Amino acid sequence: MKGGAFFENIRMSLRSIAANAVRSFLTALGVMIGTGAVIAMLALGAGAQKSVEASLQSLGSNLLLVYSGQPRGGSLVRRSTTNIVPTLSAEDLEAVRNLGPHLVELAAPESSSGGQAKFAAVNMPVTIVGTGIRYPEIRNVHPILGSFFTEQEADSRKTSVVIGHQVYQELFGGAGDPVGQKIRLNGLGYRVAGVMEPKGSSVTDSSVFIPISTFQRYVSGNPKYALINVRAASAGIMRQAQGAIEKEILRLHRLPNLDAADFYVANQLDLLDTLQGVAGTFTLLLGGIAAISLLVGGIGIMNIMLVSVTERTREIGVRMALGAKSGDIIAQFMTEAIILSVAGGLIGIALGFGASWAFSRFGGLASQVTPLSVALSFGFSVLIGLFFGGYPAYIASRMDPIQALRYE
Amino acid sequence: MIGVTNLSRHYRMGPTTVKALDSVTFGIQSGEFVSIVGPSGSGKTTLMNILGCLDSPTGGSYILAGEETASLTSDKRAEIRGRRIGFVFQNFNLLPRENSLENVELPMIYQGIPSRVRKERARDMLRKVGLEGRERHVPSELSGGQRQRVAIARALAGDPAIILADEPTGALDTRTGGEIMELFHSLNRDGTTLILVTHDPLIARRARRVIQIQDGKILADVPSGEWTP
Ligand SMILES: Nc1ncnc2c1ncn2[C@@H]1O[C@H](COP(=O)(O)OP(=O)(O)O)[C@@H](O)[C@H]1O
Ligand SMILES: [Mg+2]
Repeated sequence: MKGGAFFENIRMSLRSIAANAVRSFLTALGVMIGTGAVIAMLALGAGAQKSVEASLQSLGSNLLLVYSGQPRGGSLVRRSTTNIVPTLSAEDLEAVRNLGPHLVELAAPESSSGGQAKFAAVNMPVTIVGTGIRYPEIRNVHPILGSFFTEQEADSRKTSVVIGHQVYQELFGGAGDPVGQKIRLNGLGYRVAGVMEPKGSSVTDSSVFIPISTFQRYVSGNPKYALINVRAASAGIMRQAQGAIEKEILRLHRLPNLDAADFYVANQLDLLDTLQGVAGTFTLLLGGIAAISLLVGGIGIMNIMLVSVTERTREIGVRMALGAKSGDIIAQFMTEAIILSVAGGLIGIALGFGASWAFSRFGGLASQVTPLSVALSFGFSVLIGLFFGGYPAYIASRMDPIQALRYE
Repeated sequence: MIGVTNLSRHYRMGPTTVKALDSVTFGIQSGEFVSIVGPSGSGKTTLMNILGCLDSPTGGSYILAGEETASLTSDKRAEIRGRRIGFVFQNFNLLPRENSLENVELPMIYQGIPSRVRKERARDMLRKVGLEGRERHVPSELSGGQRQRVAIARALAGDPAIILADEPTGALDTRTGGEIMELFHSLNRDGTTLILVTHDPLIARRARRVIQIQDGKILADVPSGEWTP
């Protein structure tokens, strides 16, 4: 193809596209929808991945949870500790703390139980959580009013309580400062020390937090913990910290190995891996379906280009008679196919951005267009133009000029 | 300019062979104006197609401007068509969406002539065929005679050694056909080599030389003054 013919091809292709505007639009529509779908679906996938990470971070960073009992499938980070038979002792907690600051930054025990909270005439069911003073830092949930109970309160079995945000809503109407007020938990009076920030999780929001010593004395009567919350020193040593904790508690419990253990450690990393794996599969699935629609769009282009080649048989014959080589004819029809698919791709990218925006704006879904998906789907639409335009162009270039000139 | 020796074009149709051209021999000099005449089915278009390098002979030799063309690749034949041949068709064969200027530019595009030169030359050719001011008209806005003039301008645009016209007045009324013949004469006076195919003896006689063919063979090859159909 000669240099001048390049712009000629573009000009002629645009003219031919404009001459059949509706048909061209419908042809490109397949690629538009396909490209848009790929971008929107990958955006949903990326959004899902992001929100998984974000919600895990909101649970607290570098989190290790030492549970009583045998591991259960999934090992969800926030399993209710209400129905667990506690097997973890103060000795275990001490041993975990003593692993040293290079492994364990913070640790807090936790046990819980169902109960009733009452203020004035209002009653509500709550989860009563007994824990230590480090709980807010480890679990990344902080008081918005008042403060968490102090070390002295925790040690002296003081009847102080920090209430979850929903409890605050229901007992106090969500207004005013309840700090210093007395509420009743299972009939016993507690002084409200603080109100937790809303977490969006019903477990945390409908819990009330009391010192573990108070819990053991007045609620459970059991000296053991259902759970030990641990914040590892850094993300990099989480598996190492997990191993050290397991080894230490096995030793204290005089157990030979983890198969026989009456406790297990849930690692935030494992959960992240699992959830990201799920999000990844989800992305792949959606992207795959969208890619198929892009492929179908490409077949649409091929279909219309074949029709166009047949319709323009005479024109092809004329061009050949005037000196067009097979390469010139190929270039002309390929240019047209590529313009259609690229235009479709560009509009599709805009559609994808729009759809992604609509997902998060109206659908409440996390959605984020990634540059990779834009590059990927655009490149794909160009390739589709090349591939599906190639065959019709080849057909055109192989026409016998005499037959083509005779075509009615 | 053109040397044709024992040229044959046979079509195999199952068990039989159609000899559309059967061992034809003639020569044409630069600057000649030759008409090829014969009844329908006598092989005129077949001969045109071979002379125009749209088709290859099945036998014999065809030398165009010193070059043997009988067994060339399709790309090489396309190049020769672009550089040495100008076609004029009975049904004009203009591209309907392109205006006169763009239609005339076409053969120059495939020769790689730059756009500015192309446009200038296309304008010159349109002026030469008497279509000044019609550059922006698309074929549907032109009369049959004007369309054929555009086609002739297009045939001239690539600066060909030879112009091949297959029944160029066949789709025109007698008066317009006469005007087109006038145009051919004036082009020939300016030095263009012309081969005109027709079944009409009156048109054929207006060339300087007549080659009469029948059943793929040459019946007569004489100056038009001495020709009796
Ligand atoms: N593609 C073809 N296949 C078979 N026979 C053909 C073909 N083209 C032309 N012919 C035959 O060759 C002969 C000459 O045809 P043509 O050159 O078109 O005649 P003319 O132009 O003088 O009317 C006719 O008998 C025609 O049927
Ligand atoms: Mg004919």
